Amino acid sequence: MTWELHNVSIIGAGMMGRSIATKVAQQGLNVCLKEISMERAEECRQTLETTLDHQIARFNITETEKKVILSRIHWVTQFDCAEECDLAIETVQEKFDLKRDIVQELDRRMPAEYPIVINTSTLSITEIAAASQNPGRVLGMHFLYPVTSTRVVEVVRGQLTKDVVYDRAVEFARLLDKVPIKVFEMPGFVTTRVVLPLVNEAMHVVMEGVASAAEVDLALKLGYDFRTGPLEWADRVGLDRVLNWIQHMFQETGEARFRPCPLLKRLVRAGLLGTKTGRGFFTYDVNRRRLDRLPDDRPGLA
Amino acid sequence: MKILVLNSGSSSVKFQIVETDLERMQAHQDETLAIGQVEKIGLSDSRLLLQVPGRSAYQDYREVLEHRAAIEWVLRVLVDPENGIISSTDEIGAVGHRVVHGGEAFASSVLMTPDVVSQIEECTVLAPLHNPANLRGYYAAHAILSEVPHVAVFDTAYHQTMPAHAFLYGIPFQFYTKHHLRRYGFHGTSHRFVSYRASQILGWERAEKRYITCHLGNGCSIAAIDRGRSIDTSMGFTPLEGLLMGTRSGDLDPAIIPWLMAMEEMTLHQVNTMLNKHSGLYGVSGVSSDMREVLKARDAGHQRADVAFRIFSYRIRKYIGAYTAAMGGVDAVVFTGGIGEHSPEVRAWALDGLGFMGLELDVDRNARVRGEEAEITTAESAVKALVVPTNEEWVIARDVIRVLNDIMPSFTPPETMT
Repeated sequence: MTWELHNVSIIGAGMMGRSIATKVAQQGLNVCLKEISMERAEECRQTLETTLDHQIARFNITETEKKVILSRIHWVTQFDCAEECDLAIETVQEKFDLKRDIVQELDRRMPAEYPIVINTSTLSITEIAAASQNPGRVLGMHFLYPVTSTRVVEVVRGQLTKDVVYDRAVEFARLLDKVPIKVFEMPGFVTTRVVLPLVNEAMHVVMEGVASAAEVDLALKLGYDFRTGPLEWADRVGLDRVLNWIQHMFQETGEARFRPCPLLKRLVRAGLLGTKTGRGFFTYDVNRRRLDRLPDDRPGLA
Repeated sequence: MKILVLNSGSSSVKFQIVETDLERMQAHQDETLAIGQVEKIGLSDSRLLLQVPGRSAYQDYREVLEHRAAIEWVLRVLVDPENGIISSTDEIGAVGHRVVHGGEAFASSVLMTPDVVSQIEECTVLAPLHNPANLRGYYAAHAILSEVPHVAVFDTAYHQTMPAHAFLYGIPFQFYTKHHLRRYGFHGTSHRFVSYRASQILGWERAEKRYITCHLGNGCSIAAIDRGRSIDTSMGFTPLEGLLMGTRSGDLDPAIIPWLMAMEEMTLHQVNTMLNKHSGLYGVSGVSSDMREVLKARDAGHQRADVAFRIFSYRIRKYIGAYTAAMGGVDAVVFTGGIGEHSPEVRAWALDGLGFMGLELDVDRNARVRGEEAEITTAESAVKALVVPTNEEWVIARDVIRVLNDIMPSFTPPETMT
């Protein structure tokens, strides 16, 4: 039987799940979006509507496109949806047991070489895959923040991933209008591994009093043509998540360059987690707009 | 001859069966036997709609994953004893395909030989959304109806007669040679049809008169037709230039784009969507992209609906003035397209105050004309204005006949730039 991508199951309707569902629906495919209860699904559906309204206000989509997107997303609470799908992707919390159980559930319901995608930046694809009947159909995808506008996705090959399955996942990435970066399983892949030392170093510079956070960011932004400075980037990702990643990298590799900057730990302990709490290295309004930009940090025509 | 006319989009195929030949064309007695479309190609609930004059509409749903399946479905329904209109697909004598962009390669409608098809492929860079879909329709139709001729009719071909001073932009010349970046114009089949039809209605020899044709539909464009040749038109490199449209901005200062991108931190995608889908009547009025809704709101005293209506109509008037000057006068102004045919308000505003150039609107008559061929100027008016419903499918069908009889005129450019 030939495999074609028409129906996608997404397990977990958090921010990541909703973003992927939106993109898949925009490309004309049907999505089953699974949550643990109808109440939770309804909450997520409302949040998605708000997000889409925001997208309209920012000229990313139109009212009609919003309607089309919503009409192609089917909200479910059972794994049965996987029986009809051509590819399944989980977007639940970074917990090994949880992801392993989901992969097992999906594995039982889908034809053998239909891809099951794990969405992770820290867990071992190979280890999760090994717990299923068909480990060769399991692989990883690592989307970057913000999912809707970042063009890149790391497609992660586990030790046992089959070529045919991997190629299908690459096709899925293309369908999402993302550029697939092909990587082998290794802590941090490419993006996380390279960016964390940079962010960590920027935090050290601030902690040592060499320059203010705003100036560190502005220097890198203007100096290296970054769209966002590393500290604002960390604020937007969430400092707690950044700390988790870097701690994980430190544990996995033992490399000193991944030792979390004490300032990061202090901010997280103080509950200053970035945009989601309104304050991290910088301050933000409820719409996540940064309030304390330097006069030179303004868009303008050069 | 029965001709299948296809207009293929990325997820839809619109079709008509048109009965025509040289005699019918001359007598303006072409006949539309069926109109229909398949929507939502690629999904499990694709819909086919078929309308046959004098019958109630027929529709059906099924999973159609690509264009070939869609066209096969269309043909099955067309030969269906109960709902169809032909007894066998052998009755279809030829297929006419609407192709949006013919670039500078095509100045007339042509038989789709393998060479022609690959040249159309090359024009894809100029119309990345439309040409691939048009070609997908062609490949599908050609696979099924391989025995009959297929003809391509381009939106751009008719405007190829524009002189260089009308089609070149005032930017470094290298972009023209490097990317073929120039004004092309669209709606060519419509401008051509209504100017021709207007000359028939007025009993004029077409090659002697000057027309300004206003195609006001979903997209809007206006053209200066000087003695049968398009010498200027308001749409340019893309269908975004020129008049205000339902959701498109039309003309604007290009400096606005980088300025907004900087000030609002907008991406290319956002600016593009903003100009194409969030602007025009909709963006200004905040009410709707549909002129009927805008007019309703205007009648109810909605200020922004009123100004949206005025921008829309004023720009038409401005272009009429410009094209009159460009041709050294005008003999007839023609309105077509959904808005042009059905909105007396827009026509009245667009033609207001043109008495100085000899155009006198018959206010009462204009107010009554909706969707029918009619003059809307007074008997004394030196310059005529009229409404002519467009029929692009007829042009496509007629061009098929012309190409097959080797009488297709070529809209050759008056000069080439190197």
